[in-house]
Amino acid sequence: MGAEHTSVPRWGSEWPAPDPSARTVLLVGFGARGCAITAAWAADVPAGRPVEVLAADDADESVLAVLTARIAGARVGWRLMLAGPEDDVLAARAVALRAGVLDAEIRCAVTSTDRKRVYCPHCRATTTTTAPVAGETPCEGCARRLHVYAHVSRRAGAYLGFMADAEEVA
Amino acid sequence: MTATLTAPGALRADDGRLVLEVAGVVDEVPGTRTLVLRRPGGGLLPAHPPGSHVVLDCGDRRNAYSLTGDGSPCEEYRVSVLLCPDGEGGSAFVHRLAVGDIVSASRPRSAFAPVSTARHHLLVAGGIGITPMLSHARAAVRWRRSFELLYRHRPGAGAHLDELRGLCGDRLTAYTSTPEMLAAVRAALADRPLGTHVYVCGPTPLIGFVEETAAELGWPGERVHAERFSADLDAGEPFTAVLARSGSRVPVPSGTSLLTALEQAGVAVPNLCRQGVCGECRVPVRSGRPLHRDLYLSETERAAGDAVMCCVSRSVDDELELDL
Amino acid sequence: MTTALSARVARFPFPFATDSYRYLTNVEPARTPVTTAAGGWGAGVLDVDDDYAVELAERAAVLAADPTRCQELPHMRVASWDALTTLLPELAAACPGETSLERDGDRWTWRNDLLGTARTFTVGDDDSLPEGPLAFLGSQIQDDVVLLDQREGALWADAGLVTFAADWSMGFDVGMRFLEVHGPVPRVHEAGVVQRAERFLMRLQPGEEYRRTNWTMTVDRRLDTSTETYAEWGRDRRLVVGDPALPDRLHLRVEVQHLIRLGVSNAICFLVRTHLLSLRELATVPEWRQRFGAVLAELPDDMADYKGLTRFRAAAVDWLTAG
Repeated sequence: MGAEHTSVPRWGSEWPAPDPSARTVLLVGFGARGCAITAAWAADVPAGRPVEVLAADDADESVLAVLTARIAGARVGWRLMLAGPEDDVLAARAVALRAGVLDAEIRCAVTSTDRKRVYCPHCRATTTTTAPVAGETPCEGCARRLHVYAHVSRRAGAYLGFMADAEEVA
Repeated sequence: MTATLTAPGALRADDGRLVLEVAGVVDEVPGTRTLVLRRPGGGLLPAHPPGSHVVLDCGDRRNAYSLTGDGSPCEEYRVSVLLCPDGEGGSAFVHRLAVGDIVSASRPRSAFAPVSTARHHLLVAGGIGITPMLSHARAAVRWRRSFELLYRHRPGAGAHLDELRGLCGDRLTAYTSTPEMLAAVRAALADRPLGTHVYVCGPTPLIGFVEETAAELGWPGERVHAERFSADLDAGEPFTAVLARSGSRVPVPSGTSLLTALEQAGVAVPNLCRQGVCGECRVPVRSGRPLHRDLYLSETERAAGDAVMCCVSRSVDDELELDL
Repeated sequence: MTTALSARVARFPFPFATDSYRYLTNVEPARTPVTTAAGGWGAGVLDVDDDYAVELAERAAVLAADPTRCQELPHMRVASWDALTTLLPELAAACPGETSLERDGDRWTWRNDLLGTARTFTVGDDDSLPEGPLAFLGSQIQDDVVLLDQREGALWADAGLVTFAADWSMGFDVGMRFLEVHGPVPRVHEAGVVQRAERFLMRLQPGEEYRRTNWTMTVDRRLDTSTETYAEWGRDRRLVVGDPALPDRLHLRVEVQHLIRLGVSNAICFLVRTHLLSLRELATVPEWRQRFGAVLAELPDDMADYKGLTRFRAAAVDWLTAG
C-alpha cells in the first residue's frame, strides 16, 4: 500500500476489491463515502463467505473496541477492509496491526487525506489537524508549533510532528 | 531436513567451519541414525534459531541436515539421518560414522525460523521431516510458545516419537495413516485463531497438500512456511549466461546448472549446498528474467529479479545477463 | 585532562577516507582493527572507554525522565534475552578485571565493579530481571540497542533502548519496517542503499557480525539529541555560530554501528555507539582537520540539512580551514 521506501502511506488511485481467497470478511466504513464503499464491497464478496459490515462516523473508541473484539475471535482466513478518511483508516489499521493482523490481511480505501493525526514527541499528545505534510499545526498538548513531518507510525496511525521553531533564538 | 547434493565444486574459504567429533551414535528406529556432535575439546557451539541446518562434509559431497536442539548455546549438536539406499551416498556416509570420527560442518544456517509474532504455531511433519519440527517444538517449550504438532510416521518407525511425547504431551498427535493425517491437517487449517502460522516439513506431496489446502482456506502466504528435503527439479531449458563485466557468453545446456556452467567456464562462485537452500551462490542479474527455483530468496527478492541463486535457478529468457 | 583528551583522540573512529562523503552501504566485518592517524579502534564489538560510568549514568537519567526511550513489543522478549546473553559475555571478555560472569546452566551471575553491579538471574525467566533484559543490558553497555525482527520478507524495528539518538525517536519508530524507519533520509532511496542494506541484513546467518559508521555534528557533549528533547537543544545549533567557544562546543559525532545476527531469536541486534570529538580536539590531528574541513565544505545541501548542519556549517568550515 505505501511506497516501498517511505512510511507515508500512498493510497492507490483505485479502490481495492475484496480478496477472493478470504473466508470471512469484516468491512468497516467511516462516514457516508466510506460506508458507500463498504456496501459495494459487501456485494462483491463471493457468495457463501460470511461478511460483517460496521458503519461509524469516525474511528472512535466504541468502533475500535468492536474491531478489537472481532480480531480476538477471528480465525485464519479472516480479512479486514477499511474505507473512509485517512485518519480513521490509519487509526483502525493501527488497532489491527497491533493485534497481529498482517498487511496481507488488510485492504484500505481512503476517501480523503485532508485530516491527519499528528503525534508530538515533546509532550506525547496527538493532535488532529488539516495541515498538510511539511505544514504546521499547534500541539493540543503543549501548544508548541509542530512541523508535520513526512513520517508515519503504523502502530500509532499518526504523523510525527516536531517543534517548528526550536532553532529560533527568542 | 535431509538433502542429497552433488559433489562440491569451487567452495568458499572454509574459515568459520566447525570441526566436530562424533560423540555418540543412536539408532533409535531402523534406518534412522542420530549423531551427537561436539567440539573435540568441548566448549560451546554457536546458538541457532529453531529449524536451522548445518552443511556436513560427507566424503565427496556435502549434505544439509537439520539441527534438532532448541538452539540455545550448548555443547552438542544432534542430527538425525535417514538412510537412503538409493541416494547419492551422503546418508550412507553418515551411517558409517562411528564414535570418535571427526567431521567438518558449516556453522548453523537459518532458513526455517519460527515467526516471533505468531499467536500459535501449527507444526506439520512427515517422516524424517520431523527433525526441524523437533527443534521448533523444543524451542516452543523453552520459550512458552503456543504450538501443536501433527506427525505422520511409518508404523514402528517414528523417529523421536517417545521424546516428542514427553516434550509435547497432548500437543502431539501422531498418525501412521496418511488419509487420517491429511484429514487432521485439513481440520486444523480450517479452524485456527487468526495469528497462527503453519510450518511443514516432509515429503513433497505433504508440503503440496499443506500449501494448497492453506491457500484454499484463505491463509495468506505469509502464514505458511515450508522446508523441503531438496528442490526436486527438472533439467530445464537451455539458455545463455552473458557475463556483463568480461563480455563472455556461457552456454547453459539442459541438465547442467548455471553454477556448474560458470565453474566450467572458469568463473568461481562461492557456494555451499548447491540445492538452493543456503543462499551462498547468489549472483546479481543485470537483465533477463530469472527462473527462480531456489528455496532461499523471499517473494520480494524474486519479484525484484535482480539476483539469482545460480545452483538451481535458470532463465525465462534465452539470455540472462549477470553482473560478473 | 591532557591525558584524557589524547586518549579520546587516539581511539576516535574517524570515519572519512576521502575528501567527500556520500551514503554507502559501507559495511565491513566486525572486530577488524583500524589504524588511524591518531591511534586506532575497532578490535572488539564493545569499546569500554574512560566515559563509561558517566555515559551510563546519563542513560539512567534520560530513562528516568522519559521511559518511552525503552521500547519492546511483546514478541521481542526472546530477542531481548538473546541480546543480553550475547553481549554480557562480550563485556566480560572486554573488561576481564572489572567484570565477571558465572554461568550455571541458565542461572547467570554478573558482577561489574565499574558500576558496582552484582546480579543473579535466570535466562528466560522474566521475574528474575524485573526491569527486563533489554533495560538491564542498556545499564551495562554504552551502546544504544535496536532489535530488528525478521518476518514477511522484511525487518521490523520492534524493540530498542535508545537514549543517545541523533535526531530521531525510538518511541515513534517502534514497530516500523526497516525501510520506513529510514523513510525521511534524503538520497538513500534513489540510490537503493536502504533496500540493499535490508537485504544484506536479512541474509546474515546466526552469529555473523558486521559494522559500519555514520556521522553528524552535535553542539556540546550532548549524547541525548533525540527528537523528544529537540526543544532543549535545537537553539544551540544557531547560538553556537557566534560563540567564540565554537571549536570547543561543536563536535564531530560518529556512530559505530554493529549488526549482529542473534542466534537463538534470529533477530538482528543493531548497536549504536556514539563518539563525540570537539573540533579543537579533532584539530590536534592536522590530517583530520584538513579532511573534515574538506568533507564539510563539499557536502551537498540536502544532506547537510538532513543532518542538521546547515546553521553552523560555514562557521565550522571557516574554523577548520583557517588552521
